Amino acid sequence: MPESRNSRLTRPETLTAIGIFVVAAGFLFPTYDLRAISALLPAAMLIGLLVLSVFLLLADQRKASAGEDAAPMTKAPKRVIGAFLMIVSYALACDFVGFYISTAVTIPLVAWTFGYRSPVGLLIATVIVVGTIWAIFDFGMSQDFPTGRLWGR
Amino acid sequence: MYSDLLHALPDVFAWTNFAAVVIGVIAGIVVGAMPGLSATMAISVLVPFTFGLEPLVALGLMAGIYNGAMYGGAIPAVLLRIPGTPAAVATTFDGYPMAQKGEGGFALQVAVVSSSIGGIASAFALMLLAPPLSKVTLLFGPSEVFWVAVFGLASIIFLLGGNPVKGLISACFGVFVSVIGSDPIYGNDRFTFGQLEMLDGINIVILLVGLYALPPVIDLLETPLKTDGVNSSKLGTQSLWKALPRMKSYWKTWLRGSLLGIWIGILPGAGGSMAAFMSYNEARRTSKHPETWGEGEPEGVAAAEVANNADTASALIPALTLGIPGTAVAAVMLGGLLVHGLQPGPMLFRDNPDVVFGFMWQFLFGAILLVLLGGSLATNSFARLLNLPRPLLGSVIIVLMLIGVYSIHGRMFDVYLMLGFGAIGWVMDRLKFPLPPVVLGLILGGFAEENLRLALRIGRGDPMVLFQNWTSLILVALTVAVVVGPTLKKRFIDSRKKA
Repeated sequence: MPESRNSRLTRPETLTAIGIFVVAAGFLFPTYDLRAISALLPAAMLIGLLVLSVFLLLADQRKASAGEDAAPMTKAPKRVIGAFLMIVSYALACDFVGFYISTAVTIPLVAWTFGYRSPVGLLIATVIVVGTIWAIFDFGMSQDFPTGRLWGR
Repeated sequence: MYSDLLHALPDVFAWTNFAAVVIGVIAGIVVGAMPGLSATMAISVLVPFTFGLEPLVALGLMAGIYNGAMYGGAIPAVLLRIPGTPAAVATTFDGYPMAQKGEGGFALQVAVVSSSIGGIASAFALMLLAPPLSKVTLLFGPSEVFWVAVFGLASIIFLLGGNPVKGLISACFGVFVSVIGSDPIYGNDRFTFGQLEMLDGINIVILLVGLYALPPVIDLLETPLKTDGVNSSKLGTQSLWKALPRMKSYWKTWLRGSLLGIWIGILPGAGGSMAAFMSYNEARRTSKHPETWGEGEPEGVAAAEVANNADTASALIPALTLGIPGTAVAAVMLGGLLVHGLQPGPMLFRDNPDVVFGFMWQFLFGAILLVLLGGSLATNSFARLLNLPRPLLGSVIIVLMLIGVYSIHGRMFDVYLMLGFGAIGWVMDRLKFPLPPVVLGLILGGFAEENLRLALRIGRGDPMVLFQNWTSLILVALTVAVVVGPTLKKRFIDSRKKA
């Protein structure tokens, strides 16, 4: 099957190999400031990653030149990006707005966005989850949760 | 040696410890029954919640989840032809045709009894084999311990199958993460970039939750589950006790599957799927009616389920004695042990006999409880779990992940770090980079470095100190065999095919 991408360099494994190479090379610089014995293992691993990423890149490019098409990483990129963004937004919201408000909004929002459209079910699930968390962690175990940097707490 | 085993028994019967196993088994069945969730993911999410618990309560939960999830995977495998866990793939071959014939209830009963028998056999293997092996490893010095760590990493990279370059990249990444933080001997910072939160290194739980819990959540949200549905309310279930006499003739399959599962569990990197496939094939090969297999033969369900549960506790034999886990779940469980200050290896048996032997008993009771809890409830109640909406489940797991990681040190930095590892884990998962070497790299990296540096100090910097005794040389030879073996085997098979 012919390569369907415009450039062979945009194949997922090739991009990953380049990413590993760049990051490993970047991390290699701080090892020069370490004592030799302290740098031994991390430097060995980083050099290993550099070499292995080259192998990965060459193997993937060889597949590309043989006409092997690379499978896409996801069939639903918008849903995956959306899921990641929602998870990151939830973490940021917990940090800046506070845990309970963010959780009470996130549970129904994520479930609704990704296809569960029963308002009663969402309400019941949110109340049960948030209530159980409060009862077990806050009330039972005195666990503190983020209260929100925006409110200066 | 075995007297410690009996001494540990009363602690296991303390009500909190016993309740933990019961809750773990139920939770495990629930998790296993949900396609997309696995024991590895469940234990990863659970570990941070066990910080404040007694070790045996935490370990009881883990043992219960592991046992329960292995059986739970059979529920969607039988009812929907979707394996709940990877180890349940072979269960679909005959389980689903049975469900289509209206015998889904009996298929699940065969699955639960077989799973229980496999789990019991596996727990006995752990009890019998781990203590003597730990005595041998007590004789190891720093250079031998270093080579054990190298052997462990090599075996999980090369025996796991797949692409060795990707396995090596995973392992290098894991070992690199293990060195982040203060140097254990000189105390200087390594790759902390001025972040005080990273001085103590990367907590293994953060990595576990990121790698093993985030990718399945993304999967849950990415693809809505579509089934060609068997109605779970019409299973044709009868009492388990009435169904048992029909299973009497499976004893040979149970015995063979148990032995295969135990053996494969001990081998690093093999895992429950391989055990189930091998047991299924062996049972079909020796069957008097092989033509009925694949069309709803209950013995096929028995063969697959007994083997995938027989692999559970036995995977912990190398994990507890040498620190080398046999499966991904065992790797995550090692992380759970470390959280409670229990360093896997020979010292674990000497310093914490009550905990380690109590853990073994918990595996045994977890396997027995499978029949009692799964048998009466599974056929109808657990089958209804398949109707739970996946997006809702995903959103609840996201919240649990955040709570678990935040509660380790009470700081959001760890949550952001977990999300970073989660993104890396998702990419690795999609590009088929194996995840267990990352976890093992993190566990064994620091361990290997410490012992390597100790050995070099003893040898006054001479690297030949690493090759100066027979045990080290044997371990080096084993490592070379593990690295070179699969390549030689492949070449041998290729040359035979050409010939």
